[in-house]
Amino acid sequence: MRRRAKATMLVATGLVGSFTLAGVATVGASADDEVPMATGEVPVYGDFGGAVVTMNGPERSEEEAGALIQVLGAFAEANNIDFTYTGDADWESNINVQVEGGSPPNIAVFPQPGKLADFAREGHLVPLSDAVVDSVNTFWNEGASGYGNVDGVQYGVPVKSDLKSIVWYQPAQFAAAGYEVPQTWDEFTALVDQMAADGVRKPLCVGIESGTATGWPFTDWVEDLVLRQSGPEVYDQWVTNEIPFNDEHIVNAMQTVVDLWTEDNVYASGGSIAATAFQAGGDDLVEGRCWMHRQANFFASFIPAGTPFADGSENAVDVFYFPDINGDRPVLGAGTFAAAFSDDDATMAVLQYLSTNEYATARQKAQAELKGGGVSGFLSAARGQDPSVYLPLEQSFLEILNTAEIFRFDGSDLMPADVGAGTFWTEAVKLVTGEVDAQTAADNIQASWPS
Amino acid sequence: MAKLLTTILTVLVAVIASAGLWTIANLVFNQVERNWSRYKLLTGAVGGFVLGALIAGNRVTVGSEGNFFNWVWLPLLLAVCVGGGAALLPNLSDQRSRLLGAAGIGAAIALLITLLTRTAYQPALDWLALVLWTIGAAAVGAGLAIVLRRPVVPVAALIAALGALVGGWGAAEIGAGGFAETLVATAVPLVLVGARAGWRGRPDETEVLDIERRARAGVFLAPAVIFIAIMLLIPTLRTIYLSFLDARSEKLVGFYNYWWVFQRPDTWNLSKIGNFWGSRLLWIGAVLLLVSLVLGLVARQRTGRAVEIGNPTFLPLVCGTLFVAFALFSVWRGTIANNIWWVVSVSVFSTTLGLAIAVLADNRKLERTAKSVIFMPMAISMVGASVIWRFMYTSRDATQNQTGVMNALWVGLGRLSTGSGIPTYVIGVLLIAACIALLVAVARALVGQRWGAAAMPGVLVILLGWFTLRYWAVWGGGVGGFRIRDDGRIQAQAVEFIQNQPFNNMWLQVVLIWIQTGFAMIILSAAIKAVPTEFIEAAQLDGATPTQIFWKVTLPSIATTIGVVVTTLIVTVMKVYDIVKVMTNGNFGTQVLANDMANTAFQNRNYGGGAALAVLLFLAVLPVMIVNIRRMQKEG
Repeated sequence: MRRRAKATMLVATGLVGSFTLAGVATVGASADDEVPMATGEVPVYGDFGGAVVTMNGPERSEEEAGALIQVLGAFAEANNIDFTYTGDADWESNINVQVEGGSPPNIAVFPQPGKLADFAREGHLVPLSDAVVDSVNTFWNEGASGYGNVDGVQYGVPVKSDLKSIVWYQPAQFAAAGYEVPQTWDEFTALVDQMAADGVRKPLCVGIESGTATGWPFTDWVEDLVLRQSGPEVYDQWVTNEIPFNDEHIVNAMQTVVDLWTEDNVYASGGSIAATAFQAGGDDLVEGRCWMHRQANFFASFIPAGTPFADGSENAVDVFYFPDINGDRPVLGAGTFAAAFSDDDATMAVLQYLSTNEYATARQKAQAELKGGGVSGFLSAARGQDPSVYLPLEQSFLEILNTAEIFRFDGSDLMPADVGAGTFWTEAVKLVTGEVDAQTAADNIQASWPS
Repeated sequence: MAKLLTTILTVLVAVIASAGLWTIANLVFNQVERNWSRYKLLTGAVGGFVLGALIAGNRVTVGSEGNFFNWVWLPLLLAVCVGGGAALLPNLSDQRSRLLGAAGIGAAIALLITLLTRTAYQPALDWLALVLWTIGAAAVGAGLAIVLRRPVVPVAALIAALGALVGGWGAAEIGAGGFAETLVATAVPLVLVGARAGWRGRPDETEVLDIERRARAGVFLAPAVIFIAIMLLIPTLRTIYLSFLDARSEKLVGFYNYWWVFQRPDTWNLSKIGNFWGSRLLWIGAVLLLVSLVLGLVARQRTGRAVEIGNPTFLPLVCGTLFVAFALFSVWRGTIANNIWWVVSVSVFSTTLGLAIAVLADNRKLERTAKSVIFMPMAISMVGASVIWRFMYTSRDATQNQTGVMNALWVGLGRLSTGSGIPTYVIGVLLIAACIALLVAVARALVGQRWGAAAMPGVLVILLGWFTLRYWAVWGGGVGGFRIRDDGRIQAQAVEFIQNQPFNNMWLQVVLIWIQTGFAMIILSAAIKAVPTEFIEAAQLDGATPTQIFWKVTLPSIATTIGVVVTTLIVTVMKVYDIVKVMTNGNFGTQVLANDMANTAFQNRNYGGGAALAVLLFLAVLPVMIVNIRRMQKEG
């Protein structure tokens, strides 16, 4: 029963009311939805005569790409489609080259709706067929599918959901040290100071090294801070550049993050934050070198195998909601969207399957099996999934995603790629290494915003 | 299996097609002497067919979509028109009627094409562009003709036709024009081509032979020329063109992209230049330069020449200059500064090390083994080498064991030097012993008044002595990776080789030096072995020391090879990409032109900016390439 109680507590801290324990069990389906639960069978939409469908995306780990290929491969076989998926470590730049060179895949999985919108407006993407749009509307709420909608036309199929406003920690160790889960931002900073003063472990684990994408974890922190300090309206204006990037609100948020990331507060296994891989914090958290790690739900993949999740044991890891400032409980999330570069039936059939509860359930099942226990790293907010494939912890993630009143998509993924996957990252690295101050970094990013 | 079969089939078809084309081309050229009209008919028909295929194959014309035969008839029609015209016109003896006839055929074909052009392809003519491009191209053609000593009008007409094509179709907005505009855009180039064709009548005997000779040479040259054009020339021209367009290659923006490159602090950053005077490298360099000045004055009194390759002035002068240069690079930041830094340090160190190894290993035992080992890194890909070195440079938090070799050594040294166990004292005593031995060597050389022999141990004893003093904490509390905390306790401290600016650049350069030293060594070793033994024996008979033989005989003999090695290295280093991409992706102030170009163009999708950076890189490499090619031609 400890597990259940834990999940309840998490969601209670994350949400403003309207939560019941029964809600956890139905995975994202609110009472008035009439979506039948996934049956676990592979749907057959027809015989496509061995039509070739190629797909690529940034997911490439054994678990992620493996589960994707396993599930879509079974679907392709049942529908007589010649399907291949390629996971690409440098997908963000290679997809540009493929599109510019006139040889894009049939389907690409976009982690950035901003990039999807760019391609759609430039006429590279094909709008979804009516059948796929219907399927998307059946299984996804508008909050999620809206990010695949460009100027009123649906191009993207949501396939994966991420929750970012959470902090990983070890409840039993917290309790043993006499710390309590912070409910407000002031409590959070006070806790950080307390932990730094106690000196048993560093308060936070932070790493921003991520190969060619080095710097992105900083952008997540800034987004959460803008959302908390200045509210969703300012956040939306910031993302569309209605207010400039070097606006006071944004510079303040950046400064807050940097002020928090002091040498006393942060454990960085690489010696400094910029030299530490973002994945590295998993070991450090479990092996007792830091107390907290603010990172999205997919961070579960980087927690050492065999670590118990939220079962009340001594070393178990769990999450708490990244505290807010104004009591409005904003949630930062992200997700991936599949979109088509060609307008043929087989491609649309694959996209239709991607949008369904059947795919989400099968994918989660396959990925959990490949992972061999614990949190799978996959999460889908599609309606009508079989809840038994998710752990209670994962169900609570979904509950937060589906019921948050203020939900915002990862801002850097919505910005033009020049900024969101370019200067925002590089200037973040400069800021974190102390090469520039927050104002200069923000000025430089604003200067790079495409006109 | 199916893949293998298709591959074999493709290769077979390609080989047969190439052989067939080659045979047919030669058969056609047989007609030059035998039957001029038939030759013209055949070449004209081929030209017409290719033109038609290009137009219909790109689906410009009505009815060109759909199945194969829908687009074949236009090429065939054009083949008949052009071939017939080419066969008949030279028979007219009057140049004026020939010109009129050829221009008429060109205009007729233009009308035909225009009638068939789909509305979606009709260009909205930019008259000014058409006129300017045509006249400009004609001028270029005329100039070329004068330089190549060819008849001016035909060459100018042909190049002007190309210009008109670019001005009429390339500069226009496709799909927004009407019938008349399409006609003009099509007719101007075709009439110009007609003018070129009608300029000359039947050639006489000697001209025929000349034409045949050149045509056959052309068949052999064509594959190479086409290959170079497709892989090199057209991409280069297109890149230059793109560099004048905006980020998404839609609007002309003039030199904006070049201005953009230079106004960014990432390219050209002088904000830290004030630290120049505080740089330790500068002062070391200044001292060395001072030493070389003093030595130079002495040398001038003795031999009349202050600086000479191999005299005592030389080494401090070169080292001092390098130190000052590196001091400058460490404060002059940005992509361009980094690139120059790479060029200087990699070409200097790789060549020097390669030369040193080649000379020292020459005719020694184990020469082959040593050289193979040093050459080995050349076999590793740049990406592989970068990954290896990134692991070697890895740093970990002070409380952890260091997993990177470099930091393990550095932190280990720190532990040793600040520790108090037996190993610490053993090493310490050994260091002192080594210092004393070196001092004795210096003293003996000085007593014997062999100044040259004293130099090397002298420098070594200064460096080793400094190290020993640090090790025993006489000066600075110890040596290695440690730091003394506020409370007086000693803590391990790793070096962040990849993150610590600005000298992380040099740690990245080490990777390329490691790779390229083998290359320099192999080439220079071959050159050294090629130095005639007579020279060396003559020098030995004259009583020259090995040092003198190296500086005065060997080095001048291999000077050209050194030049080749240095220029090749410079070109390689200027284009350095993989190492930076893998190790930092340009973060931490290590950006270089090539990586900047790729990121700007393909990650940020700023194709204009990326193209501008590519052009700058091209311009920077060009002079070195020209020097290299000139020398190769001279040697040939």
